[in-house]
Amino acid sequence: MRPFLSAMIVLMFAMTGGALADRPKENVEADASTRQVAITSSFTGTEILVFGTVENSVQPSPEAGTYDIIVVVEGQPVPAVVRQKSRVAGIWINTSSMHFAVVPSYYAIASTRPIDEIADKAFLDAHQIGFDHIRMVPSGASDADAAATETFRQALIRLKEQQRVYVKRDFGVTFIGRSLFRSTIALPPNVPVGPLTARVYLLKEGKLLGQYESRVGLRREGIERFIHNFAISQPLAYGLTTVLLAVAAGLAAAFAFRKPA
Amino acid sequence: MTLYLPIAEMSVSVIAFLALGATVGFLSGLFGVGGGFLLAPLLTFLGIPPGVAVATSTSHVAASSVSGAMSQYRRGNVDIKLASVMLAGGVAGSYVGVAFVKMLTVRGLFELTVSLTYVIFLGVVGTIILIEGINSSRKTRTAGSASVRKPGQHGWMEHLPFKMRFPRSKLYISAVPPVVIGTFVGFISAIMGIGGGFVMIPAMIYLLRVPTVLVIGTSLFQIVFVSATATVLHAVENQTVDIVLATILIVGGVFGAQFGTMAGEKIRGEHLRVLLGALILLVAARMAVDLAIKPGDLFSLASTPGAF
Repeated sequence: MRPFLSAMIVLMFAMTGGALADRPKENVEADASTRQVAITSSFTGTEILVFGTVENSVQPSPEAGTYDIIVVVEGQPVPAVVRQKSRVAGIWINTSSMHFAVVPSYYAIASTRPIDEIADKAFLDAHQIGFDHIRMVPSGASDADAAATETFRQALIRLKEQQRVYVKRDFGVTFIGRSLFRSTIALPPNVPVGPLTARVYLLKEGKLLGQYESRVGLRREGIERFIHNFAISQPLAYGLTTVLLAVAAGLAAAFAFRKPA
Repeated sequence: MTLYLPIAEMSVSVIAFLALGATVGFLSGLFGVGGGFLLAPLLTFLGIPPGVAVATSTSHVAASSVSGAMSQYRRGNVDIKLASVMLAGGVAGSYVGVAFVKMLTVRGLFELTVSLTYVIFLGVVGTIILIEGINSSRKTRTAGSASVRKPGQHGWMEHLPFKMRFPRSKLYISAVPPVVIGTFVGFISAIMGIGGGFVMIPAMIYLLRVPTVLVIGTSLFQIVFVSATATVLHAVENQTVDIVLATILIVGGVFGAQFGTMAGEKIRGEHLRVLLGALILLVAARMAVDLAIKPGDLFSLASTPGAF
C-alpha cells in the first residue's frame, strides 16, 4: 500500500507541475485607457495609460518585485532612410545612406526595471523588446558590413529618441497593489499617425508567464482629417484652393488698405 | 495658442508664425520684393520640413505679389504680352523645378541644393544690389541719377529668331530671351520657394531693355502666375503644401506688407537698396556658414516614405 501511495503523490506532482501544485498559474490582463486617440487641430500630444492586473498574484506587496512587467507601445512599420554627412570641398554633404525596409514609426517601452535585468537577450530579441532588439534590416544594398549597419542603426535610434518618438522608461511601470499595475505612455505632438499596438509582458525570474496585446487607434479627426484627405486624394483641387485663398487674401488686404483716391 | 499642421504634421504656435508672416510681409512691402527668400529659410529654421517650407512659401509669394500686381495693372504698368511670353517659359520652368525637387528629395540632396542655390543667387544678387545702391546714393549726392536704358541697342540679341513686337514696351525683339528668362525664373522659383523678382527685374532692365516704368508691374504680374503654378505643382507632385500654415503666414503677411509699403515711402530708394542688399547678403552668409561648419550630428533621418 505504501509504495502505491508514494507513486500516486509523485504522479500528482508531475501532473500539476511541481511544488505549487494546488495554486493556479499567473497570467496578465491589461488594457489602454484610450482605444482611440484623435488628432485634431488642437492636438499637442497626449498620454495614454496602460494598466492591467496579474491574475493569481502571489506578490506580498506592491514593492516586493516578485513580477516584472514590460509595456511596449509600437506604431506602424515604416521604411526609413538614415543619411550621413561628410565634408566634400569644404561643405557638408549627405554622402552615404542606409535604407531600412521597416522600422517602427513610434516605439515606447516602459518596464518595472531595466529590461536587461528582467530577461535575457534571446527573449528580448524574440519579442523585439527594447530599442536594441527591434529587428531592423537594411534594404537594397545587402553588402553593407555589420559595423556600418550598426552605426546607422544606432543613429536612427538616437534621432528617433531626439524626436521623442522612441521613448524608454526603465522604471515606468509601477505596481499599485499586489496585482494591479499601471504605466503612462507619452505620445508627442509629432507622433506618426496610424494605429498603435500595446503589448504587455508578465515575467517572473526571467520566465514569461503571460502576455497581452491591445490596439490603440490614432487618427486624424475633424478638420485635420478633412484637409489631409483633401491634400492626398485631390491634390490638384487642394493646390488650386490654396492659391485662390492666397490671391483672395492679397486682394482683400490691398482693397482694405487702399489709399482714398 | 497652438495649431496642428495637417501636412507638416506638427503642432506650432499660431502667434509665432503670424509674427513671422507679418515680419516677412513688412520687409517685402518695404523693399517691394516677394519675400520668399526670407520666408523659406526662416520656416526651415523654425523646424518646418524643408520641402513643406519651400512649397508653402510659394503660396505666400502669390499672396504678397497679387496686390502689387493689381495696382500696377490698374496704372497700366504691365506689358501683358511680354508677361505672357515669359509666363509660357515660367510654367515650363516651374514644372521642371518641381520634378527636380522630387528627384533631389529621394536622393537626400534637396536641402543641400536649396542651400547652395540660396548662397549663390543671394550672394551675387545681394552684392550687385548693394554696390548699385551705394553707387547711386553717392551719385545723387553729386549729380542726377543716370539712366541705364539705351533704347534700341540689344547687341547679340538682334540675331535671334522668332522676333515679336511688344507695343507696350516699344520693343521688337526675339521671343527667345523672354522665354529663357521666364523658364529660368520658374525653375529657381520652384526650388527656392521664391518669386524670382530679384532675377527677373535686372534681366528685364539690362537684357530686354524694358522701360523701367513697366519692369516692376510686368515682373509682379508674372510672379503671381509663376508662384501660383509652383504652388499647385508642389501640391500635386510632392504633397508638401500646408494650407493651414499658408493661411497663418498669409494673414500675417498681407497686414505686414501694407505697413511695409507705407514705411517704404518714407525712405529714399537708394538707402532701401543698400538695406535690401545687406539683408540678402546676410541670409546668404548665414546659409553659407551652415554649409561650412561641421553639423552637430552627422546623421539625419528621413522616415516619411516618398517625401524627405
